[in-house]
Amino acid sequence: MKNKPYSITIKELVERGRNNIPEECISSTHLIYNSPAALAFNSPGAEGFGVKRAGLAIPGSVMLLIGPGCCGRNTTILSEMSGYSDRFFFYIMDETDIVTGRHLTKIPQAVKEVCEALDTLPTVVMICMTCVDALLGTDMERVCRKAAMYVGIPVVPCYMYALTREGRKPPMVAVRQAVYSLLEKREKQASMVNILGYFSPLMNECEIYPLLRQMGIKKINELSRCKTIEEYKSMAAANFNLILHPESRLAAQDLQEKLGIPSIELTRMYQIDKIQKQYYILAKTLGTVIDDSIYAAEARNAVTKFVQSHKNVIFAVGEMMNGNSFELALALVRYGLCVAEIYSNLGTEDYVFLKQLAALSPNTRVFSNLSPSMLYYEDTGNRIHVTVGKDAAYYHPHAVHVLWTEEEQPFGYAGVTKLFKKLQEALDTEGGDLQ
Amino acid sequence: MKGLWKYISPFAPDQSGACSVFYGLGGIVVIVDAGGCAGNVCGFDEPRWFGKKSAIFSAGLRDMDAILGRDTLLVEKLCAAAADTNAMFAVFVGTPVPAVIGTDYQALRRMAEKKLRLPVMTVDTTGMNLYDVGIEKAYLELFRTFAAASGPIQPETVGVIGATPLDMTCLEDPLHIENMLIGQGWSRVLIYGRNGLSNIQQAGVVAKNLVIAPAGMAAAVYLEKKFGTPYTTAYPVLKKNWVCDFTGKKILIVHQQILANALRQQLLEAGASAVTVASWFMLNAALKEPYDIALREEEDFIQLADNQTYDIVIGDGLFRKALKHFMGMYLELPHFAVSGRM
Repeated sequence: MKNKPYSITIKELVERGRNNIPEECISSTHLIYNSPAALAFNSPGAEGFGVKRAGLAIPGSVMLLIGPGCCGRNTTILSEMSGYSDRFFFYIMDETDIVTGRHLTKIPQAVKEVCEALDTLPTVVMICMTCVDALLGTDMERVCRKAAMYVGIPVVPCYMYALTREGRKPPMVAVRQAVYSLLEKREKQASMVNILGYFSPLMNECEIYPLLRQMGIKKINELSRCKTIEEYKSMAAANFNLILHPESRLAAQDLQEKLGIPSIELTRMYQIDKIQKQYYILAKTLGTVIDDSIYAAEARNAVTKFVQSHKNVIFAVGEMMNGNSFELALALVRYGLCVAEIYSNLGTEDYVFLKQLAALSPNTRVFSNLSPSMLYYEDTGNRIHVTVGKDAAYYHPHAVHVLWTEEEQPFGYAGVTKLFKKLQEALDTEGGDLQ
Repeated sequence: MKGLWKYISPFAPDQSGACSVFYGLGGIVVIVDAGGCAGNVCGFDEPRWFGKKSAIFSAGLRDMDAILGRDTLLVEKLCAAAADTNAMFAVFVGTPVPAVIGTDYQALRRMAEKKLRLPVMTVDTTGMNLYDVGIEKAYLELFRTFAAASGPIQPETVGVIGATPLDMTCLEDPLHIENMLIGQGWSRVLIYGRNGLSNIQQAGVVAKNLVIAPAGMAAAVYLEKKFGTPYTTAYPVLKKNWVCDFTGKKILIVHQQILANALRQQLLEAGASAVTVASWFMLNAALKEPYDIALREEEDFIQLADNQTYDIVIGDGLFRKALKHFMGMYLELPHFAVSGRM
């Protein structure tokens, strides 16, 4: 079909089943349209946290990128960001390096020169590797060990292998393993927990902090809140890890094997009843009870207020935002709102939400952000009133937007409250006669 | 150490240069990569990306595609995308992945042409060269494929080569150049890269070509050989409003050569005692003064300028970071291929 974006209804998707996802929704079967809406997929370094920025999560760390010049190109943006200038260095490979592998012998000296160029010795040098070394089959662990011995500080490999994006260990999973890899066994502190998942902190008002305290937790660690290397290292004493993002599962598994820290996984959701259920299960697992009524009520009030005043608005939900687009769409529909379109990179794990959506909103259309046919997506005027997500905003420039891409991570009831307050605010100020 | 860059981030690579030439010409551009290169091209090196849609796609290569060399799958993906698109041509643009696995671009082109029934081009960029190398290859490929002697020479028509955002001071420069050339008496100005493929196809009828960046020189030489079209070089719309007395000053300019030469001329006219052009990018021998300097490493630039040799250094703001000991005046002249800023 020429000049038309591919889309499919939720009902059709569910009827086809998770084992028969249309090829247009499977990124490995087609070329990838790198729309402004899809940039976060192909170049996460240009938006939010990609491997390069995430790899610098350890306090006092610096990064040496080993690769062709093109692989470090977007680092210019990062270098200008507060906290990242003077933390990126490059060894720019040429064709001779690729043919002879000579760059590998130069890495220890390069690390040494990087350290010498800095006013204070870094706590760790992250070595960022690219697709080139993935194809060359470089044993980077060995190279880093040699460099570490040469300079006397830790040198850690950080794999930016885009070729493995859909494999068992995609780059954003590997980088999460890398940033926790320096933790060494310490005596356990029963009242300490690590929150794993994001490279920026949870929103300060998130109820997870007081709820964990109700459960007897006194010290809650987040990598992004660690200001010193000692604070970072103290994470090794945690009694358990809370995984808030599935890409942290392998890192948590490493910590279980290496340091004996078990983990519990929570999912970011926008359905209040599911959030509540999740907290109760967590409390039960820890053998305690919690009172989350204030937080749940606040979230319910924000939702009710919004629905009462903006019941008839039509949403488009994208994936460039802090949430799962299908889960958020399901939450909106369950609150009595209408979601006309979803832009997302569909996976089999999304079917748990799709099945429920099919019962409530079967005609919601799903577009694949990465499909080449999205080149022809046109905003047809006033069909969509509100967008959530940067991609949805791109497709509907005239709608009211809540980008929902803040670095401070929303979670739990506080996430719901904040989202609906933002929606309320956006529609009250920009929505005109949509009320 | 050779290869180690401590202060300056990498410049736009050759695949970005090639894509900037093909941008908006009405074809399908397939960047043969895993995704990151296409992301850098679109998200960083192509300022037109957020304002004007263009069919630039990533091949979305995965490890097994690279290991097994699944070119057939790549061609199938291209055909599927072409079925949804009214494309005039398709082009494969290389990256480090095909460079490492030794992709046979000629075979890829033949396979795709056979299935697509469209002109298919390939540009063997590697991600290891700079943007101007990619621009040069892309222009040559375009003119070889599409430029034809479509009629008699039109004496009042001029062509402009090299007008990509990576080499210009602002996105409006092509318009300014066009107005200036019309003001000089030319009745038609064909800026190659605008107006779809049409201007490229008419390259055989222009009376003269104006080259505004060294990356366009090879194409100008090709058109001269093929159609006898003479060419000249100039960056005719350079206007800087620096309030500064250049009298008697020794000045270093770091930018693309033709623009830097135009600026040198202005500065000498303003009383500068000596102006040196240095560049990591192409320095065409015919346009170069004997004392101009080709840079290769970051360290070359530091040794050249991080001292009191020059009173004034003019270049992209990004370079300044490397000049910790330079006490003279630094005047910023943005270069999109360096900092991604205009």
